[in-house]
Amino acid sequence: MGIITLEKSNNLFWLGRYIERVYTTLKYYIKGTDRMLDSDPGYYSVFCNKIGITNIYGSREVFAKTYPFDETDPNSIISNLNRAYDNAIILRDYIGTETMAYIQLAVDDIETAQRGDAPLADLMLAIDHILAFWGCVNDMIDDIQTRNIIKLGKGVERVDLYLSLDKPLSEIKREYNRMKQFLEKSRMRYDESIINTFDAMINSSDFNYTNARNLMRNLTIE
Amino acid sequence: MDGLIRNSETINKLLSRYGVKFGIYKNGVFKEQLFPFDPVPRIIKYDEFLYLEKGLTQRVNALNMFLSDVYGSKQIIKDGVIPEEFVYSASGFLPPCDGVMPSKNIYSHISGIDLVQSKDDNWYILEDNLRVPSGASYSMIARELQRRSTPETFRQNSVIDNRNYADLLKEVMDNVNTGGINVILSPGRYNAAYFEHSYLAEKTGAVLTTGNDIVCENDNLYYIDYNGKKQRIGAVYRRISDEYLDPMTFNEESVIGIPHIFEAYKKGNVALINAPGNGVADDKGIYYFVPKMIKYYLGEDSILKNAPTYLPYYEDDMKYVLDKFDSLVIKDVAEAGGYGVVFGSSLTKEKKADFIELLKKEPRRFIAQEVIDFYDLDILGDDGSLVPRKAGLRAFVLTGRSTKVWPSGLTRFSRNPDSFIVNSSQGGGFKDIWVLSR
Amino acid sequence: MIVIKNLKFNYKLQAQYSAPIEHHNFSVMFLPASNNRQEITSLNIDIKGCDKYNLTTDNFGNGKCYGKIAEPHDFFDICICGTAKTGIDIYEEYTSDPMQYSLLKCHTKLTYPYEKLTEYHKSLELDKLSGPYDKALHIMHTIYYTFKYLPGATSIHETAEEALALGEGVCQDYAHIMVSLLRMEGIAARYVVGMIPGDGASHAWAEALCNGYWYGFDPTNNKLVNDEYIRVSCGRDSSDCAVIRGTFRGIVAQKQSEAVTVEEII
Repeated sequence: MGIITLEKSNNLFWLGRYIERVYTTLKYYIKGTDRMLDSDPGYYSVFCNKIGITNIYGSREVFAKTYPFDETDPNSIISNLNRAYDNAIILRDYIGTETMAYIQLAVDDIETAQRGDAPLADLMLAIDHILAFWGCVNDMIDDIQTRNIIKLGKGVERVDLYLSLDKPLSEIKREYNRMKQFLEKSRMRYDESIINTFDAMINSSDFNYTNARNLMRNLTIE
Repeated sequence: MDGLIRNSETINKLLSRYGVKFGIYKNGVFKEQLFPFDPVPRIIKYDEFLYLEKGLTQRVNALNMFLSDVYGSKQIIKDGVIPEEFVYSASGFLPPCDGVMPSKNIYSHISGIDLVQSKDDNWYILEDNLRVPSGASYSMIARELQRRSTPETFRQNSVIDNRNYADLLKEVMDNVNTGGINVILSPGRYNAAYFEHSYLAEKTGAVLTTGNDIVCENDNLYYIDYNGKKQRIGAVYRRISDEYLDPMTFNEESVIGIPHIFEAYKKGNVALINAPGNGVADDKGIYYFVPKMIKYYLGEDSILKNAPTYLPYYEDDMKYVLDKFDSLVIKDVAEAGGYGVVFGSSLTKEKKADFIELLKKEPRRFIAQEVIDFYDLDILGDDGSLVPRKAGLRAFVLTGRSTKVWPSGLTRFSRNPDSFIVNSSQGGGFKDIWVLSR
Repeated sequence: MIVIKNLKFNYKLQAQYSAPIEHHNFSVMFLPASNNRQEITSLNIDIKGCDKYNLTTDNFGNGKCYGKIAEPHDFFDICICGTAKTGIDIYEEYTSDPMQYSLLKCHTKLTYPYEKLTEYHKSLELDKLSGPYDKALHIMHTIYYTFKYLPGATSIHETAEEALALGEGVCQDYAHIMVSLLRMEGIAARYVVGMIPGDGASHAWAEALCNGYWYGFDPTNNKLVNDEYIRVSCGRDSSDCAVIRGTFRGIVAQKQSEAVTVEEII
C-alpha cells in the first residue's frame, strides 16, 4: 500500500488490540467455564475483577450465557469482536478481503455457539479462525508497516491482559519484549520514558503487577 | 446449472464469509444485511451481447457528448433539439460546472445503464445512471465464489470472465489521472455501498478514504500519511454525490466533502470520476431526449430503444397521458431509487384526481411511460423450485481511452412476485449475468 | 446624460466565534470587477490571520478568494477596499449571444412563483408593453410603490412568494420579486449584490437582459443603476451570492457583522 494515514494507523492498531482481546478472553472463558463446573463456581467474579469489567452477571449461569454472546453488553466477547470487525471493514484495501473473512467467520462461530448445544466446541472454532487470521496477516499482507502496526496492537493488548490476569513474570517478559520490537518497527510515536521506567521495573526484584499495568496504560501510541 | 442450484447453500455461506453486504437504515438504525443472491444466472448469448454492447456504447458516447456540449457551447439547445428549460431546470444541472472541462473531456466514466427485456424479447432502456452507479462489485465477487463452489459448471459453459472489472476501472482512473495516486472517496463505513467501495479499492489498488486524510492546498489535492508526509492525488473516484462533494461550492453543510476540491478540479489538477454535474444527463426528463441526442451528435439511429415515454410538458402528450392514465406508470423526475413511481392503475379515485391536478400544475416534474411487460426470470424459491420474478439489468459502461461495455452487469430482481421494483434498497436480490462466449 | 464618478469603497465583515475554531476553510465572494458601467481602479483584500489565499472566478463571473486557516482562532475579519470609476456607460454588459444566459430565465426555489406572484404578475398587464426594458421599468416602479421597506420583516431564507405575501421586506426581497417577475415574462434576470453610498450595509438589486444588454434596476429605491452603484456579484438568486462560506472544527456560536462605506472622491 505504501501510504498509511494517521486514521488508518489507528484502525490497524485497534484491530490488533481487539482481536487479541477476543482471543485471550475466549481462552480464559473456556478454561474458566471448566473451573466453574465444580471446583470454583464463583470464579467469574474474580475474572471480571481481574480484567477490570463490571460484574453485571450475578451468577455463573448468566455469565456463561451472556459474556461471550451478548451484543448489548459492551464488555462481551462478541462486542469486542464486532469492534475488531468495525476496524477491519475500513481496512479492506490494506488487509484484504481474504484476511477479513476470518474475522467474519469468527463472528459466525460465536453466533453458532450461542444457538448450538456445544457452545464450547464452537467457540474453539472461533479461536481457530482467529489463529487463521494471524496466519493470513503474515501470509497475505505484503506491506510490512501494515503488519507491524497490527502486531503492535496485539502486543500492547496482550501485555495488558497478561498483567491483569497475573500471568507468570517469565511470560510477561516474553510478551513485553515482543511488543517492544514492534514498537520500534512500526515507527509509531510513543512515550520513551514510560518504556524506560518499565524496563527498570521488569528487571527489579520487587515487580508489582498493578503498578506495572497502570504504567503501561499510560503509554500513548500514535 | 443444477450444480449451481445444489450448491446455493455453499455459495450463500461464501458470500456471508466475505461480508457481501449492503447497509440500510431501518427506523434510523444502520444495519448491514446480506444482499440476497440467486444462484440461477441470467444468460446472455454472445450475439445478443454484441447488440447490447453496440447500443450501450452508442448511448454512453452520445451522453458524454451531450454533457460536454451542455456545459460548453450548448449547441443542442441553440439548435432547438432540447428545450432549454428541460436542461436548466433539471436539478442535476449544476451552474458551477458551466464552462468547466474535465480531464480528457470525459464526464461519465462509469455509467450504469438500466435495461429491461420485455416479453416480446425487446430490450428497453429504463434509465441512465451517470452519477455514482453502484453494484459491479457484487457480480464480481459472486462469480469468484461460484467458480469456487461449482467449478464443473464453468468448465462446461463458455462464460466470459467478468473479473476484469477492476482492470477496466483502473484503466479508467489512470486514463484521466492528472499525476498522482488514485483514491476512492467513500462517505464512510455507514454508507449502503461500503462493501463495494472497499472491495473496489482493494481490487484496483486505489486508496480508500473518507476524506479526513485529504487536504487541498494551492488547488492541489494531497493524501497525508501518519508521519505527515504528503502524496499528490491525480484521480478521485468519488462515491459521494455532487451535492456533498465540496462545501465551498455546493452544500455548505456537507461534512463528508473536501473543501476546495472543486477548485482543484476546475483548474485541471485532479480528475473527478464521475464528473460533477452529470445529473443533468440522467435526469428522467432528459431521458426522453436521448434518442434525439444520438441522432444529433452521431447522426445515427438509436440502437437501443427507450421505453415509450411521454412528456406531459407537451400538450399532445398531456392529452395522451390523461386519456391512458390507468395504463401508464408516472415518474417524478426528481426522485430516484424506485421512489416517486406511481402506477396509474394503482390509485384510488381521490388519489388519482389529486395526482392529475398536480400533474397539470407541474407538468415538467413528471414523465409517463407505458408499462413494459417484463420478461420474467426464474429464481430459486424458498421451497427449492423455480419461480418467475421481475428482473432488471444494470449494464456497466466504462469510458477510458475508449468506451467499453463490461461483459457482465448486475441483475436485480424483485422478491415480491407482484412488484416491479427491483432496487436493493427496497428488498430486491441479485443474480450473476453470464455472457456466453459463443 | 452620463456622469462619471470616482468612488472609494470599504467593505468589512467580522465574524466572532464563542470559542476558538481550527481547520477553517473559507471562501469569500465580495470582489467587484470591471464591466461597461464601472471600472475597478484599485482593489485590496485583507484577511486577518491568513497571509495566503487563492483567487478564482465562478460561472457567473464572480471573483472569489479562498483558503484555509489551520491554527485556532476565534475571529475572522475581512476587509475589502478600493476605488471605482462608475457611470462610464448605462448598461453593465453586452452579449451577442443572449442564449448563453438562458439559465437565468429559469426559476429557482427562491424565485419560483406560486399564487401570489402569479396574481401580481397578471395585475401588471405587462403584455401591454412592448420591449423587455419597458417591462422591467414598469415592474420596478410597481414593486417600489406596492412593497413596503421594513428591516427585520423577513429573514435571508424568505422566498419571493413569501415576501410578497407579507408585503414588506428588505432589498433582498425587492430584488427576488423583481427577478421572479422578469422570469415570468421570459426575460433573463439576475440577482445582484453591490454597494451604494449611505447604506452602511451591502445592497441588492436586479438585472434584466434587454436585447443583449444587461441593465441594472433597483426596485428598493426605484432607480436605474447608475454612477452611484458599485456592482459586486450576481447569480440566479441570493444563494448564489453568499458572501462567505466556511467549514471548521469546533462547536461554537457565531456572530457576524458587516459594515460598508462608499464615498465619492472629489
